[in-house]
This record gives sequence, structure tokens and C-alpha cells, in this order.
Amino acid sequence: MQSNTALEYDYSVAKLYMWTTVIFGIVGMTIGVLIAAQLAFPELNYLMGEYGTFSRLRPLHTNVVIYGFTLSGIMASFYYSAPRVLKVSMGELPLINALAKFQFVAYLVAATGMVISLGMGITANKEYAQMEWPLDVLIVVYWVIWGINMFALIGARREKALYISLWYYIACFLGVAMLYLFNNMEVPTLFFSGGLGAWYHSVSMYAGTNDALVQWWWGHNAVAFVFTVPIIALIYYFLPKESGQAVYSYKLSLLSFWGLMFVYLWAGGHHLLWSTVPDWMQTMGSIFSVVLILPSWGSAINMLLTMKGEWNQLTENPLIKFMVLASTFYMLSTLEGPIQAVKSVNAIAHFTDWIPGHVHDGVLGWVAFMIFAALMHMSTRVFKREIYSKSLLEAQFWIQTTGVVLYFTSMWIAGITQGMMWRAVDEYGNLMYSFIDTVTVLHPYYTIRAIGGLLFLIGVFMFAYNLYKTATAGRKLENEPQFRSPMA
Amino acid sequence: MNSFIVKGLALAGVLIVATLVVVQQMHIDLTDPINMITFIGAIAIAVLTFGVGAKYMAQMKTDTATGELAEENWDGIGEYKNELPPGWAWSFFGTMVWAVWYFLWGYPLNAYSQIGEWNKEVKEYNAKFEQVHKNASPEVLKEMGESIFLVQCAPCHGETGDGLSGKAQDFTSRFTKEQVLAVIKNGQDQLKYPMGAMPAGMAQGKDAEDIAKYVAGGLKGTAPAAWGTCAGCHGQDGKGNGGTAPDLAGYDLTLVQHVLKHGKEGIIGKMPAFPGRFTPVQEKALASYLATLKQ
Amino acid sequence: MFHWLEKNPFLFSVGVFIVIAFAGLIEILPNFAEAARPIKGLKPYTVLELAGKEVYKKDNCIACHSQLIRPFKAETDRYGQYSLSGEYAYDRPFLWGSKRTGPDLHRVGNYRTSDWHANHMWDPKSVVPTSIMPAYKHQFKNIADTETAYAEAVTVKRVFNTPYGPEIAPSKEAYEKYYKEKLLPEAKKIAKEMKNKEVEAMVNQGKVPEIVALIAYLNRLK
Ligand code: HEC
Ligand code: HEC
Ligand code: HEC
Ligand code: HEM
Ligand code: HEM
Ligand SMILES: [Ca+2]
Ligand SMILES: [Ca+2]
Ligand SMILES: [Cu+2]
Repeated sequence: MQSNTALEYDYSVAKLYMWTTVIFGIVGMTIGVLIAAQLAFPELNYLMGEYGTFSRLRPLHTNVVIYGFTLSGIMASFYYSAPRVLKVSMGELPLINALAKFQFVAYLVAATGMVISLGMGITANKEYAQMEWPLDVLIVVYWVIWGINMFALIGARREKALYISLWYYIACFLGVAMLYLFNNMEVPTLFFSGGLGAWYHSVSMYAGTNDALVQWWWGHNAVAFVFTVPIIALIYYFLPKESGQAVYSYKLSLLSFWGLMFVYLWAGGHHLLWSTVPDWMQTMGSIFSVVLILPSWGSAINMLLTMKGEWNQLTENPLIKFMVLASTFYMLSTLEGPIQAVKSVNAIAHFTDWIPGHVHDGVLGWVAFMIFAALMHMSTRVFKREIYSKSLLEAQFWIQTTGVVLYFTSMWIAGITQGMMWRAVDEYGNLMYSFIDTVTVLHPYYTIRAIGGLLFLIGVFMFAYNLYKTATAGRKLENEPQFRSPMA
Repeated sequence: MNSFIVKGLALAGVLIVATLVVVQQMHIDLTDPINMITFIGAIAIAVLTFGVGAKYMAQMKTDTATGELAEENWDGIGEYKNELPPGWAWSFFGTMVWAVWYFLWGYPLNAYSQIGEWNKEVKEYNAKFEQVHKNASPEVLKEMGESIFLVQCAPCHGETGDGLSGKAQDFTSRFTKEQVLAVIKNGQDQLKYPMGAMPAGMAQGKDAEDIAKYVAGGLKGTAPAAWGTCAGCHGQDGKGNGGTAPDLAGYDLTLVQHVLKHGKEGIIGKMPAFPGRFTPVQEKALASYLATLKQ
Repeated sequence: MFHWLEKNPFLFSVGVFIVIAFAGLIEILPNFAEAARPIKGLKPYTVLELAGKEVYKKDNCIACHSQLIRPFKAETDRYGQYSLSGEYAYDRPFLWGSKRTGPDLHRVGNYRTSDWHANHMWDPKSVVPTSIMPAYKHQFKNIADTETAYAEAVTVKRVFNTPYGPEIAPSKEAYEKYYKEKLLPEAKKIAKEMKNKEVEAMVNQGKVPEIVALIAYLNRLK
């Protein structure tokens, strides 16, 4: 069956997701900058009446960047790279191709519904699971379709063994499916109240401590299976592909993968330290978090070693820069997280700005950087054009790196300071600071964070422009580049 | 190669020093074990990440990629059959052994309970606190009182104790005329003084006016004729007859204790009770501080 | 070494699923029955309080406020008694939060009052001059969705046996009766304590603005 002529891949679905990545990225991060600024300058809460308060906008930010920007980026990369490592074109499977387009439409409808309902304040109020049940249903539908498409592609593959990226895509699909279902078990009030009240309203199946357990079993693993697992799928494809280097070690890939799968799920308890869940579960969360450092660092190290001896690529190719820095930031957040999971450290870190700091090390430095690099790499193959501007890409890299550094240093200092102030006692042993003292002191750091965020956002606009110009005005390519993406 | 690691560690150092400087400015006691562990953790994050990251960066500059290639190839991507990096492999193995040991032996043997720890800490602390400050000087009490006040009371009474333009009791004067009039008219029974309730309607018309003016004025000058009615319970000097009725001249300890225990509802509004929230010394401290606010 | 597994996508997926499903079984299930038990004397939320909880959810106060007092001396000094599992038995969803941009609220009903909240929600800076909390003036105008709150009470009574009396029943009439006889009087009391004339007038006309429900909920947090 194996044919030697190069396959002509059908990228129509990947392309659709590329554009939603850009749009959701701009929307989500603009809101991010706005809410960052609101904490430094509270007057900014009153730009849009009740819809403009920090509290209404915050879930819009998180949901749009996670389920809009990140998920679109993942889907674009999946529909681009999975067919390539399996050696089947989407075009060869018309039914699957049509189903994938349907999945995209369902996804868009759900995402639009999400933005509107969260804006209106319709929310189940569980972090990262805010959508009410009608949207849950839609989400389950498109997720299942994605699974069907993935396994159909795998079934039709010409490459016998699954490439590493696919291991991670499969895990992403299964993990999210399992966790999402359990965490969103909710009872619509419509069916039990004789038709009273809002039709979309529901109550959680679980109460109190149980709800917390299920929620953070999901919440932690949403991080695992949305921000980590599929992004590792991205780096395992795009870094070797862009650099032309072979992956450093199969054994390291293998142990990191199975280690990550096994350990990640246990660590969710670190979101509930010092809470009312039993001590032994908390301890379990802490222990497994520490073990988790190694499988996490394993992937990062594997990628850094893949670039061994390729210093020139790092200096010359901005896409390599993005990806090497991404794996370094991945190392940062997967060491920071476990240390914040130590009970004594968590006593200070929990509830403070050090946590959003940790979050954004991961999501900006790792997730967003990987997505930018992946989309840029894809654009040359999908549009069959040269990247519009290398210098713009280079500038984007430095501006955004500065942004991330400002973000995490300011939140690191703010969080540690605030956490210690909450505990501080005066010479007599009474609380030294009123709550508002611990808020006022953060003003400079909130300002620095907002500036860092703004720099990052400027980079996003540069990226969007560059991508648009690549698609429309980049120099046309005769042949598909084998490795390095050509850029002007 | 070394220059990279040096730069990485320098970056880590800058971050740690900056954090240390800011925290020090807030007068935080870094010898507190929790604070210390946090700081060690922070140093570990910065040093390990920047150090190890820099190490691999350096390898990009100097080493070359080698190894036996696997026969598979996916879309042009190959794979080496290299061994695991030993540092990584040993650390992974080590943490797994540690985890199993900790969970099966290290942890259950300790039979740790976070609530147990709280009970022990607070009990020991409070006993010591009461002991040390049993005979605290007025200056110490006042300072102590101020810090408790700023944390617990200022949101209603304001940082200066002025009651935030009528939202709560203004401690710079004991009463307004209206407050006294209202009590004379309605009586009062909520602070649970030993004497019981104060009856309503103890004085009327001009008498009530005069008394109210006199009390609101801080009981200065000569008392109006009708003051005798009040003096029976509150004492000729209005100081409450040694705690059997409220002190009308200032905020004495008895009054503060009664308010904290029972709360108070008056014409300004309602103050919640704070039962069991403060130790006796802390209550004394609050009273001492309030007493200094009155002009 | 393991290439045989990577050539068999079905077994591979089953393997992944088993490995990831394992932890949930061991960590989550054992605690389920026990953690759901209410502490002695815990009453379910009144419908007005539930409506207030909906306002708390809608305006997403959880973005800045936790409801979980950890067992540290510094926290019990600041907020009062540490939180107990059984206190949350009627919380669907739980509202512990994960960020304290503002203070914990699990026992705020102990040390704040209706009129303080009224001042604070209208303009936080009027009571805490350097506050960064947004003002929620719209809550003084928007009418609380008490019908949905009632529907929630009916649902949890029927599905989870939450101990409500016969006044909570699945019909429009039962709702209207409850509204007039139970909910409005409760709202009037709070409106009076708030000392806000407009709000009081609205409640007297039979309309319950969101702020009244929210304060009922906040007062209940003890
Ligand atoms: C029968 C004894 C009695 C008499 C007579 C009396 N009081 Fe009182 N007064 C009390 C008691 C007891 C309280 C505290 C009541 C409570 O438990 O809240 C009190 C409370 C007050 C308070 C409120 C103090 C606070 O800080 O809440 C004021 C003001 C007051 N009295 C003024 C007067 C004046 C003025 C008169 C005379 C017209 C007067 N009282 C006569 C017993 C008396
Ligand atoms: C939620 C708001 C609130 C808080 C918190 C609060 N108070 Fe008050 N307090 C009031 C109000 C309102 C009054 C006025 C009651 C009246 O007379 O109308 C008052 C009155 C008082 C009085 C005067 C009572 C009298 O008899 O004249 C004292 C003393 C007092 N508070 C002490 C304290 C102390 C000490 C704290 C902190 C531990 C505190 N308060 C916290 C609202 C508050
Ligand atoms: C941008 C963050 C933010 C949001 C959103 C927010 N708050 Fe706050 N909140 C604060 C801060 C900061 C404080 C402390 C300063 C103050 O009292 O205003 C506070 C204080 C409070 C307090 C006083 C608690 C105490 O112990 O003094 C209450 C009650 C409160 N908020 C309720 C709410 C409610 C209800 C909502 C949602 C409708 C809300 N907050 C939304 C930041 C926020
Ligand atoms: C070894 C890996 C990791 C561990 C052990 C870990 C651990 C932790 C801990 C302890 C917290 C704080 C919980 C709290 O006190 O509130 C946390 C929060 C968080 N982490 Fe990580 N982390 C890891 C990696 C990552 C990565 C790579 C990302 C993103 C790319 C990430 C995203 C988040 C997010 C979004 C939160 C916030 C959750 C919330 O809303 O409270 N984490 N993590
Ligand atoms: C311009 C860039 C960004 C800025 C300025 C920004 C800003 C913010 C701010 C201010 C918060 C609230 C923190 C708080 O409550 O104290 C936040 C939360 C969060 N953001 Fe961002 N953000 C940006 C980009 C992103 C991206 C790209 C992602 C994901 C891919 C992301 C994911 C999150 C998450 C998960 C949280 C919740 C953290 C938690 O609950 O602990 N952000 N962000
Ligand atoms: Ca849901
Ligand atoms: Ca959070
Ligand atoms: Cu986690």
C-alpha cells in the first residue's frame, strides 16, 4: 500500500482552527490585560456596567484562552500533524473530513454560547467547568466526534507504529472525556421543579467537600490534559520537524509518557491542602506532585537534548527559540508546582498571586509559545508560502519573553509577600496587618503584571498580523519544505 | 559552557534577592519555620530551573547529537535509541522509592492531623500569651489594642475610630445628644449589666434635653438638676458605679467587654457580637486603645 | 521495546485509560459517604438565601473570595473557627474558591451587618478607602431570580432529600404562596436593616432586588 509519491494532505480543517486560535487568542488575552489592569486601577471596572467588573470578566478570560485559544491551537495542530505522522490525508476519508467540519461548527457554537452565557453571568461556578448543562451536552458531542475522527484516522494509517505525539493526543482525548463527564454531573432543575425557573439552571450532583474533590480531580487534570499532554504532543512533532533533528531518546519518551499518565491523576489533592478533605488524601496529593517533577522534566529534557549541538539553529531560527524557551518554561512551572504542593509552602502560596504567577509561567511561556511556533510552522505548509517576516517574529519573541518575565517575577514577589503578611504577627503575637494592608501593598506588582501582559498582547497582535500576511502575501513556495520553515 | 550556568544562576539570584528585599520591608520574621521552608522552596525553584536549563543550553553550544537511530521514521522525524540520562533516571527512581516509603511508613507512623496541630499550637500559644501579658503596661496595651482594632474593627469604625461619618460609633466622643435621648426615651436592655435593664422614660422634655446635652458634652461643668435620676445607677460622676451600669464618660473595660460579648443595636445601627474571639488581655488592650481615642 | 503496544492502538488506549482511571477510584470514592454528612443543627438554605447564592455565583465573587478557613492560628484569629466538612453539606456547588484577592467570607455573617454590606456593595471605598473591590450598584436594581432559587430548593429536596418542609413543592402555586408568606417577610427584614429607602420601597412593592438576597446569603455565612 505504501506509495512513494508524497501525499497531498488536505488541511481545510486545520486552517479553520488556525484562525479561531488567533481570534480567541486576541479576545482572551485582551480581557486578560484588562483584568490585570483592573486590579491595579479599580476604576477600570466601570467601562461596561455590570458586564465589565473584574469578577464577570475573569471567567471569560480563563475560558476563552483555555477552550478558545488553547483548544483551537491543539485542534489545528492535531488536524495538521496527526495525518502526517499516520500518513493518511483527511482528503482520503471524505466522511471523516465532513465530520471534522461538523465538529468545528459544534465547537464554534459551544464557544459562542460559552462567551454569551458567561458574560450574562450564567455559570455553574466551578472553576474551569463553568458551563451550564446545555453547553455541556454540546461539548460532549464535539469531543466524541473528535475521538471518532482520531480513531478513524488511526484505523486508516499507513505508518504502523503510533508516533509519540499520538500517544499524547489519545491520552488527551480519554482523560478529558472521563474527567469532564464526572465533574459535570449536574441535575437540571427544570425536570424536577415542575418547570419553575430558568431552563438552563442546574445543581451539582455532589455537595461540599465531595464536590471539591471531584472538581479538583478535574481542575488539576484539566491542566494535565489540556495544558500539558496535548502541548507535549505539539513539541514532539514540531521541534524535531522544524529542526530536522531526531528525537533524543525513545526510552526517555516512553518512561516520561507512562510516568506522566500514572502520576498526574493522583496529584489533584494539592489544590485542597489544609482544606476539609482527609489528611491522607492531601498527603497523597503532595507526594505525587513531587514525583511528578521527573516525568514532566523528562519530556522537556528530551526536547532540549534533541537540540544538542544545534546552537546555530537556536540563534538563527525564531521558531526554535520559541520552542526551546517553551520547554524551559515547562520545566519552570513543573518544578514550581510541586514545590507549591509541599504542605508548608502551600500554607503560604495558596490563595495568593504566586498561584496565578505559576499558572502563567505555564500558559504563556509554555502553552502559548508552543502554539505560536506550531501555527507558524504549519502556515508555510498549509498556505504553501514563506513566513511573511522573520524580523517581526524575532521581535515578537523578545517582546513576549520580556512580558512573561515581568509577569512571573511580579506575581512571585507579590504572592510570597502577601502570603507572609497574612501570617505575620507583631511583637505581641497579634496579627500585624489588616486585610486591606495586604491588598494595598500589591499595587506596584499588579501594575508591573499589567505592563508585562500588555507586552505579551502586543506580541499576539504581531503574530496575528504576521500569520495573516503569510497567508495572503508571503512568497509562494514551489515545494513543501522538508524541515526548516522558510521565512523572509 | 560555564558562562551559561553562571548567567542562569545570576538570574535566579536576582529574583531571590528582590523577593527577600520586599519581604524584609514588611517586617516579616523569616525564622518562622513556614516562611523559611517557603523561601528554601523558592530558592530551589529558581536555582534548579535556571541552572539545569542553562546546562542543556550549554550542550547545544558544544556537544553533537549522536546515537543509534531507530528504523521508524514519521513524516521525516527520526528517533535515537539513546539511554536515559542517568541523573534523570536516578532521580525518578529515587522519588518513587521515597513516595512508597513515605506513604506506607513515613506518614502513617506519624498519624498526623492538621486539626490536632492547630489545637496544640493555639492552646499553647494562648496560655503563654496570657501569662506574659498578665501585667502589661498601659503603653503596651494601647499598642496591642491598636493593632487588633485596625484588623477587626476599622472596617466599621474607621481607621481613626471616627465611625466613618455615622456608619458606626464615633469613638472620639462617647455620645451624641441623639443617642442619649434615644436611650432615655426607650430604655435599653442588651448589654446585660448586672443591674439588668434600664427602664424607658426616666426623664422627659427639658429635663431629658438638659441631661442629654450634659452627657454628650462629656459630663463637664455642673450637672443639670435632673441628673440625679441617672446618677442613681450610673453614679454621680457617670462612671457606672464600678461596673454595675455602663460608664457614660468613657470607654472602660467593662463596657467594651459587654459590647463585644453581646453586640449592640442603637440608633446608628447594629454591631455584631464577637463572642470568644478575643482573650481577656486582648479585650483589655482594645479598651485601653478606645479610651485614648476620646478627645 | 514497547513498540508492539504502540502498533496496537486499541490496547494502547485501554492501557492509558486504566492507568489514568486508577487514581480516581482510590482517592475519591472512599470519602464520599462520610464527607456529605451535615453537622448537627445545619439548616438548608432558605429560598431567599439560595437566590443570594445565585447572585454570588452570577457576579462571580469566587474570583476574589474564598470560603475556607484553614486551621492556622493566623486564619482563625482573622476569620474565626476553622471550617468543617459538615458545614458544606448543602453547598452545591462548593464555593471554596482558589484565590483571595479579597478576604475569606466563610464566617462573614458573624462580624458584618446588613447595612455594612449595603454600604460596601454600593461603594466599597466608602467603608474601606483603599479597597480594590468593584462596586456592585446594579444589584440594587436587578430583581433577584427567586423562582429559579425555589426551583433549586425543590430539586435538592426531591433528588437529594435535603430536609425542606412541605412548603417546598413542585408547583407554581406553591412557589407563589411561599413567596408571599415566607420569602417577602424575610426580605423586608433585611431591607429594613439595610437602611436604604429605595430598596425598602421596592421590597414593600413585592419586588426583591438582588442585593437583598445577596445580603441574606452573606448574613447566613457563619
Ligand atoms: C435603673 C438604673 C438606671 C438608671 C436610673 C439609668 N440608667 Fe442608664 N443604663 C442602665 C443600665 C443597666 C444600662 C445598660 C443597659 C443594657 O444592658 O444595655 C444603661 C445604659 C445607658 C446608656 C447606653 C450606654 C451604652 O453605651 O450603650 C445611656 C446613654 C444611659 N444609660 C444614660 C442614662 C441616663 C441619661 C439616665 C438618666 C436619665 C440613665 N441612664 C438612668 C441603668 C440605668
Ligand atoms: C459590622 C460593623 C462593626 C464592627 C466590625 C465593629 N463595630 Fe463596634 N459598633 C458598630 C456600630 C454600628 C455601633 C453603634 C451602635 C449604636 O450605638 O448604634 C458600634 C458601637 C461600638 C461601641 C460603642 C457601644 C456603646 O455602648 O456606645 C464599642 C465600644 C464598639 N463598637 C467597639 C467595637 C470593637 C472593639 C470592635 C472590634 C473588635 C468593633 N466595635 C467592631 C459596628 C461595628
Ligand atoms: C476584584 C476583587 C473583588 C471582587 C470581584 C469582589 N471582592 Fe469583595 N473584597 C475585595 C477586597 C480587596 C476586599 C477587602 C477590602 C474591602 O473590604 O473592600 C473585599 C471585601 C469584601 C467583604 C468584606 C469582608 C471583610 O471581612 O471585610 C465582603 C462581604 C465582600 N468583599 C463581598 C463580595 C461579594 C459579595 C462580591 C461579589 C458580588 C465581591 N466581594 C467581589 C475584592 C473583591
Ligand atoms: C509537575 C507539575 C505541576 C504541579 C505538581 C503543579 C502544582 C500546582 C499547585 C500546587 C497549584 C496550586 C494550588 C493552590 O494552592 O491553589 C497549582 C495551580 C495551578 N497550576 Fe500547576 N502544577 C504543575 C504544572 C502546571 C503546568 C505545566 C501548568 C500550565 C501549563 C499548570 C497550571 C496550573 C493552573 C492553571 C493552576 C491554578 C488552579 C487554580 O485555579 O487554582 N500547572 N499547580
Ligand atoms: C496577555 C496575557 C495574559 C494576561 C495579562 C493575563 C492575566 C490574567 C489575570 C489578571 C488573571 C487573574 C489573576 C487573579 O485573579 O489574581 C488571570 C487568570 C488566569 N489566566 Fe491569564 N492572562 C494572560 C494570558 C493567559 C493565557 C494565554 C492563558 C491560557 C492559555 C491564561 C490562563 C489563565 C488561567 C488558567 C487563569 C486562572 C488562574 C487561577 O485561577 O489561579 N492566561 N490571567
Ligand atoms: Ca457544567
Ligand atoms: Ca483559581
Ligand atoms: Cu494541579
